[in-house]
Amino acid sequence: MSYLDQKVAPKREERLGTCVDFGGSACDLKKSFNGGCLRNNDRGFCQGSICQLLPGLSMLNTIPDSVVIVHGSLGCGGAGHSQSAAVRGRQILAGSTNPRGTLWLSTNLNEMDVVTGGEAKLAEAIIEADRRYRPESIIVVSSCVPGIIGDDLDGVVARIQPQVNGVILPVHCEGFKTKVMATAYDAVYHAISRRLLEKEEEEVRLIPDELEEAAEKIRRSRQVNLMNVSSGTPGDEKELTRLLNALGLEVKIFPCFTHPDDVKYAAEAALSISTCPTHDDYFLKYLQEKFGVPYLLRYMPIGIKNTNSWLREVAKFFHLEKVAKRIIERETDELELALQPLRQTLKGKKAMLSAGEVRTLATAGWLQELGLEIIAVRPYHYDEFGEPALDKLIEHDPGLQANVGTVQPFETVNIIEKNKPDIYLGHNSDNIWAAKSGIPVLPVYGGPNTYVGYAGAFDFARNINRVLKNPSFNQNLMKNVRQPYFKSWYTDQPYKYIVQGSEDL
Amino acid sequence: MKNRFIERPRSFCALGGAMLTAGAIPGAVPILHTAMGCGGSIYWNQVGSTGYLGAGYCGGMAVPSSNVKERDIIFGGTDRLTEQISNTVKLVEGDLYIVLTGCMTDIIGDDIQAVIRDFQAQDVPIIGAETGGFKGDAYKGYDLVLQTLIKNLIEKKEQKVDHKVNLWGIVPAQDAFWRGNLNNLRVLLSKLGLEVNSFFTENDTLDGVKNSGDAALNIVVSEFYGIEAADLFLEVHGVPYITSALPIGATATEEFLLEISEALEIDQDATNKVIEREKIIYYKYIDRIADTYNDQDFQRYAVVVGDGNYAAALTRFLADDLGWLPELTIVTDDFEDEKKNKIDKYLERLNSGYKTKVIYETDASEIQYHLSRHWPVSNGQRFYDAFSPAFVVGSHLERQLAKNIGAAHLTVTYPVGNRVVLTRGYTGYLGGLNMIEDILSVLVFER
Repeated sequence: MSYLDQKVAPKREERLGTCVDFGGSACDLKKSFNGGCLRNNDRGFCQGSICQLLPGLSMLNTIPDSVVIVHGSLGCGGAGHSQSAAVRGRQILAGSTNPRGTLWLSTNLNEMDVVTGGEAKLAEAIIEADRRYRPESIIVVSSCVPGIIGDDLDGVVARIQPQVNGVILPVHCEGFKTKVMATAYDAVYHAISRRLLEKEEEEVRLIPDELEEAAEKIRRSRQVNLMNVSSGTPGDEKELTRLLNALGLEVKIFPCFTHPDDVKYAAEAALSISTCPTHDDYFLKYLQEKFGVPYLLRYMPIGIKNTNSWLREVAKFFHLEKVAKRIIERETDELELALQPLRQTLKGKKAMLSAGEVRTLATAGWLQELGLEIIAVRPYHYDEFGEPALDKLIEHDPGLQANVGTVQPFETVNIIEKNKPDIYLGHNSDNIWAAKSGIPVLPVYGGPNTYVGYAGAFDFARNINRVLKNPSFNQNLMKNVRQPYFKSWYTDQPYKYIVQGSEDL
Repeated sequence: MKNRFIERPRSFCALGGAMLTAGAIPGAVPILHTAMGCGGSIYWNQVGSTGYLGAGYCGGMAVPSSNVKERDIIFGGTDRLTEQISNTVKLVEGDLYIVLTGCMTDIIGDDIQAVIRDFQAQDVPIIGAETGGFKGDAYKGYDLVLQTLIKNLIEKKEQKVDHKVNLWGIVPAQDAFWRGNLNNLRVLLSKLGLEVNSFFTENDTLDGVKNSGDAALNIVVSEFYGIEAADLFLEVHGVPYITSALPIGATATEEFLLEISEALEIDQDATNKVIEREKIIYYKYIDRIADTYNDQDFQRYAVVVGDGNYAAALTRFLADDLGWLPELTIVTDDFEDEKKNKIDKYLERLNSGYKTKVIYETDASEIQYHLSRHWPVSNGQRFYDAFSPAFVVGSHLERQLAKNIGAAHLTVTYPVGNRVVLTRGYTGYLGGLNMIEDILSVLVFER
């Protein structure tokens, strides 16, 4: 793939025509996207959003034995303080009795550096990070300022690398360069692929052991890469590993929480399995092209149908269809029994969802299966990877409303006001605006819950059921705390400020 | 000062401090003129570092933001800002809109004041400040927002009201306990007969801010934060100011009240009466915890880690009120020498006479080395006078240090990610009691 020969991964609006500004029917979304005319849409009113640096750091802060150097102003890496909670949790699970959480530095570019350049400061930070923490990898992430003052990140890395032990990974995450935060996934994978992914040289034994070699060959023929996401929980990974183990597969998880030394094993697997198509295509295509590792990239295993399809696809690859059929039967029989009482209360309830593209659409699909009515989906962006899940939703409800936007809660509350959902399932940090509308909220990822596989399907059902049992907290909030918008906003249509894009510049 | 990298910086950038300060002004709505991620980055940072402070009225992911893109960076972002403001004032209800720039728009030099003037001409209540992140930390952002209020909002008043004061020096959100800290001092100062305007709490109003120009005195409970703004206030509105250390507990608070009393020429006897009454109450509570303090041998060696406000104030409280042994005080600001001298001097004259070692260090992982250098580690001798029993008062970053040295730990200073903070404050007499309650609760938590 030629992308990997470049220093910087392309932005998604260019590579995939990804759209972040749309409001209308889901059918229209699909049609206009395929017409290729959505990526230049805009908003005449915007709210603070998520740039590619933030999900980039969410992934990079998980890499063990590493230091993240955020090359930019003092504040750019600050989300690392909050992300530390999840990282500490994993460090405890991995056996640490005194976990340190995230470890990151800021090059703290100031007014002087903006004039004179920040390269010397970055070089010093890398050398000192290597000396102080002895990390396996030093992840250098550039934010907006170096992108505009012209710091040569890759030049600094090339110059300093011979002086340090840790492998330096330059990651380009200048926030102003793309409006699609999902470009971060490509930026991170780009760096990992270029710096950490080399196939191990085959060990040449002095005394060949054919039996052991054959055993190793068989083992590798069943070794799979399971791609995780930084928004995944330990419960999510456990559930998917359990299902793949049940097929007799050996699972290695990438890239979050994977040690830099272990990334190379991704190149020796028999198959790569994505859990979130929009997250992984850049990396999995590269793995196939460079190392011949085939991949599956169609389903996010949320809900029974998607999990079944996800598992069947894996099984088909290994000619294990019969095993998969048995697993699916056993899992779903038991699950259906447990779901029966919950379906009664969930039937006909109206839900609205907002989060990353595929997660939103796949979760909405599962809620439809559970008998809920989806009044609107708000994926943070939309591109080809959303289409299979969107098709299913449209099939079930051709009139479904879709609003593509990265957070933008003013549109959320307008839709809520007009459609009065019974429950809102949203992304971390946008839930509060639904909560202030008095709607019960269930986070659509994170925390102690499981969201994927059969365990996740059940967790969704029982947690929605639980949240609906007592909505007092958010109702009190609605009665006593006001939203910042004029009343007239709620009589306007929610997509008033979305501006049709012109032709490509 | 060392112009170099900082490990896990213990502050928002100037924009972050500005956005959180602006958002804390009653009825005010910040409008960011920044790249798309700045608002989200500040919010993602805020939640896990300020005792789980939420978005509030129009903060977090709701903050209006021009979200300038590559195109705007090349051709200039003022058109986008104009469009954003004109739509914001139609959509978002605010008594005051405050435009705040970020790194990108500062670097390309967008003339926001020209845009703001156009809206002011249409009677939109709007002001602005240039707060690009590279200009400094949250304290800087706080100061810059105060400065724009002083220049562009606060009305000029010739006649000063002798019992009116403004209270500054505590940075919203950056100090997770800001509301409690301001409120404690407001209540306390009102006992001296003062009308206190603290700008950023639920007890303040925008009218109060606008009319703060007739105050007799600006009280800055910091030797470091809000000082440039106080100078500007003096210049523009003719109101003098005094600075003071953050007063925590009986010893520091008594000194604080006497300073204020002197500056405002309040009757000394009246002030002494207030102090006496407050101390009686304070010691009624201390009386009832003193049994356990003594029975359980609750004196501790301590390491204090915090910003210029907290490092000095906590050290003094531990030494002078609690009778603890704060051996090491880590100041986490990257201060120039003049400011360092202020802290050094303050801590040299503790009432208890206890001497602490003051170190200026921004990086959490280096503190262990400072401690080892200060208190020699055991070289295997049979009788070793260890740094024990010990307690670390700092941020949640110090949890690892505390565990390493077998110390108990309480998070007070930024980042505060393992406590939820609502009304709690540590200033004044009440704050001292809160501090004792929280510190000693850690010691009995496992029971």
